[in-house]
Amino acid sequence: MFKSRGAAWLFVLPALILLLLFKVWPIGVSFFESVMQTSFSGRRSFVGFENYSYLFKHDPTFWNSVKVTFFYSILVNPLIIIVSLTMALLLNGGHAFTKFFRTVFFLPTAISFSVVAVIFAVVLDPYYGLANSFLKLLGLPGQPFFGSQDQALWCIIWLSVWRSAGYWMMYYLAGLQNIPKTIYEAAEIDGANGFQRLFKLTLPLLTRTTSFVLVSNTAFNFLMFAPVYIITRGGPRGSTNLLMYESYTSAFVNSDMGRASAITSILLAIILVFSFIELKITKAKFEY
Amino acid sequence: MKKPVTIKNILIFAILTLTSAFFLIPLAWVLASSLRPAGSLYEYANPLTWKTFFPANITLENYRKIFVDLLFGRAILNSLFVSISTVFFGVLVSSMAGFALAKFRFRGRQLIFVIVLVTFMVPFESIVIPLYVLVRGIGLENSYAALILPGVGNGLGIFLFKQFFEEVPNELLEAARMDRASWFRIYAQILLPLCMPAIATVVVMTFMFQWNSLFWPLVATHSSRFEVVQVAVAANRMSEDTSWANLFSAAIAGSLPPVVVFLFLQKYFIQGISGTGLKT
Amino acid sequence: MKRFIVVLLVLFLAVGMTTAQNLEVLWMGWPKDQVMPLINEFQAKNPGIKIDIQLIPFGQLFQTIEVRLASGGGTPDVYIVDGPNTASYAARKYLLPLDEYFSPAEKNAWFKSSIKTGTYNGQFVSVPYGTSSAGLFFNKAIFEKYGVPFPSEKISGRMTWEEVVDLAKKLTIDIDKDGKPEIWGICIEQIDRPYLLFPLMQSLGAEVLSPDGFETKGYITSDKFVRAASFYGKLFNEWKVSPQGINDSAIAREYFGTGKAAMMLGNEWNIARLSKFTNLQYGLAPFPYFAGGVPVTPTGSWHVGINPKTANKEAAIAFVKYMTGKDAVMKWYKLNGIAPARPDVYAALPADFSNPMWQLFLHEMNNTAVARPDTPGYSQYELILRETFNAIHYGADPKKSLEDAAARIDRELKRFK
Repeated sequence: MFKSRGAAWLFVLPALILLLLFKVWPIGVSFFESVMQTSFSGRRSFVGFENYSYLFKHDPTFWNSVKVTFFYSILVNPLIIIVSLTMALLLNGGHAFTKFFRTVFFLPTAISFSVVAVIFAVVLDPYYGLANSFLKLLGLPGQPFFGSQDQALWCIIWLSVWRSAGYWMMYYLAGLQNIPKTIYEAAEIDGANGFQRLFKLTLPLLTRTTSFVLVSNTAFNFLMFAPVYIITRGGPRGSTNLLMYESYTSAFVNSDMGRASAITSILLAIILVFSFIELKITKAKFEY
Repeated sequence: MKKPVTIKNILIFAILTLTSAFFLIPLAWVLASSLRPAGSLYEYANPLTWKTFFPANITLENYRKIFVDLLFGRAILNSLFVSISTVFFGVLVSSMAGFALAKFRFRGRQLIFVIVLVTFMVPFESIVIPLYVLVRGIGLENSYAALILPGVGNGLGIFLFKQFFEEVPNELLEAARMDRASWFRIYAQILLPLCMPAIATVVVMTFMFQWNSLFWPLVATHSSRFEVVQVAVAANRMSEDTSWANLFSAAIAGSLPPVVVFLFLQKYFIQGISGTGLKT
Repeated sequence: MKRFIVVLLVLFLAVGMTTAQNLEVLWMGWPKDQVMPLINEFQAKNPGIKIDIQLIPFGQLFQTIEVRLASGGGTPDVYIVDGPNTASYAARKYLLPLDEYFSPAEKNAWFKSSIKTGTYNGQFVSVPYGTSSAGLFFNKAIFEKYGVPFPSEKISGRMTWEEVVDLAKKLTIDIDKDGKPEIWGICIEQIDRPYLLFPLMQSLGAEVLSPDGFETKGYITSDKFVRAASFYGKLFNEWKVSPQGINDSAIAREYFGTGKAAMMLGNEWNIARLSKFTNLQYGLAPFPYFAGGVPVTPTGSWHVGINPKTANKEAAIAFVKYMTGKDAVMKWYKLNGIAPARPDVYAALPADFSNPMWQLFLHEMNNTAVARPDTPGYSQYELILRETFNAIHYGADPKKSLEDAAARIDRELKRFK
């Protein structure tokens, strides 16, 4: 660590100004909204933590959303990490086909979530969609997908994996490239086999990347709502009612900025807690 | 080094093909549908035939329609301009901040790091109204600046650079300081070249962030000359109908520029770092 | 001296005429090639006014309007208003009162139900642009194939819902016996939207909201409302004549247009939009009603409003009058196909509107149409009800769902009193 304070502040200042102006200030205003209630005629009044206490004590929809959101997060985050890490590992070599496959996996990221949602709604149509046509070909019964309380959230998880895995794969590729080949050569000389190299060398050396991917992916997924907004609208029967979707409808349909901001503040607290836990767990211990 | 065709390679190839199928099939269907004359949505999805993925009559009419009648080309150019500008300034600003946070001990460091973290954990939708009021208040509404500036300061980018810079041994920097190099020279000539994968990553991340933005451009600008690509794609879903053919062709056409960017930057993911001073 | 004043006046007028007024218009994201001809024509006829029009995709339209208006600026000057949202915008003072700019004679140009929708607390605040109606489309080929006589396409032959279910049962066909019908009896275009479902409840005589617009308890929880909601739920869960989970009206249209549904309860815009299914032969039966009840049809669509804080009032009014005027609406119909809110357009385009289907819709608009209720809390009222209908169509108990909904809605609506 270096001590040149002046230099440090000069380097950090542009970003700091931009963040303070375009992120911190609006976030502050939004927090402020969460302790206010605006009546329809425009009268604003300070209500302390009433918005929060209403959510916790009298709002069953809120608790259902918390349950759904946690269920979704605990499933989708590890899944995305495993899929993207596996893809990165498989495509790290210089094989001829790697460039092609990398592009294929990356392509879905270039389509916005809203359009991906529309595509999935159509592909997973309960009666005539592509997915059911394939199932029929394999002799399996057609599935209701988004039309089923049990399957809808899984479909959204599937959608997220499809759309995001290629993106995170890219971070893992960058992280893998950061590992000098000399380490592997030394390990081979020492007689380590593939699996040992993977679990004792590669994965620990990827800890920094994993912590980055884990923290940002966690945030992304807690703030997810586009597929719910476009396809399921929280249904069937509340099974896909993610917290961010609740906040979104509070803000833009109900004009209830107080409730909307209260929910996003709670989300922020949840994300911060998860992130700090994740950062602690994946603290890089390796120097090479 | 010759790569032998081993069983391991064949296995990898098989797994990749299967996974690619999972990824490719919806895309292939969308692509095929965009090359068909605008017609029924499910006609070729059910039942499954070879025509599902290989249209009998290939036509570029849908692409012609969106580029000529709906000015899709303008949307692509706008998004390219906004994305590339944000990338340029974003990489600069984020790498500088990441450097400061990784290598310097100074008062306020922890607080700034928390600020950096928090800024990407708050959803855009919750800050859109105050952000719009602010942008309008400083006179930037309905300009490219309104689209670019809020995206330049990027908490994730700063976080990523910080992670990468932390892995650079301090000895390297100490040596340069002893040679009386200024901090800026150290940053520009030593650190930046070392973190090409990080730069490539932030380039793609920032580019994708701007390329995918839909709601903010709608709020921050109102003249049609600023229309961005995701707005142009989403416009194919109307209140009374959805134009599937246009939607699919717009989705495909709108996803190509980022793929080109990614393809171009792939070589930075292949580059090894052997012999660049990270040996202990 | 007099000459000096004249010169000054002339200069003043010249400057005034060459400085163009810039009008910011926030519009629904219809295709550019449909909207721009109208805008260009207006600008050609009004050289002093330049229109800066923003076409916003439907999925983001209402949210963008909310952000713009909530931030309190003078723009947009003119914006598109979904009819039932008029009360909500007017209550929050987002709409300029228009009585002084539209004479009663001018207001006569629109359908009475549209004017009613565009009025809040006695003030005329949003100008009707389009309207709507709905009916029961049916696939002639399917009916013929399975030997079922066509429903009557005449008002006098309006079917009861019970008769419709009968037909639907006969025409829900599972050819390969896999549990999934290849042909459904009936599909509902906007499967869970109060817009299309209220007429069922209203046909039984139920009311959907308290007269003051702030309470649903006792109204959506009344026996008649619950009965109609139960009937609706049975279509999917007991008789299984209708497919669940259609989350987009375009998808419902695909089902009907490609012969996967024998009937479709749908809007008037289908007359234009079913034409892309070249193999489809269809007819239109009147919107069904319950035996012993009254025929009720839905109505209402887009309006246009002016921001009270606009700095360009005259230009805004000129633009609104043009866009909602007979000529522009005629052109708009030809480009887009949505039902005009002005009777004189129908009379002026006999080639388009003299066909029996349009005549049917016109009859409904004039006789059986019931506009959606007036309440400042319409958006949340509609959203919660929509979620409730959605749950009911997936099998939730109607009575309990509606009681829970009433509690939630009333809590929201209380904020608006």
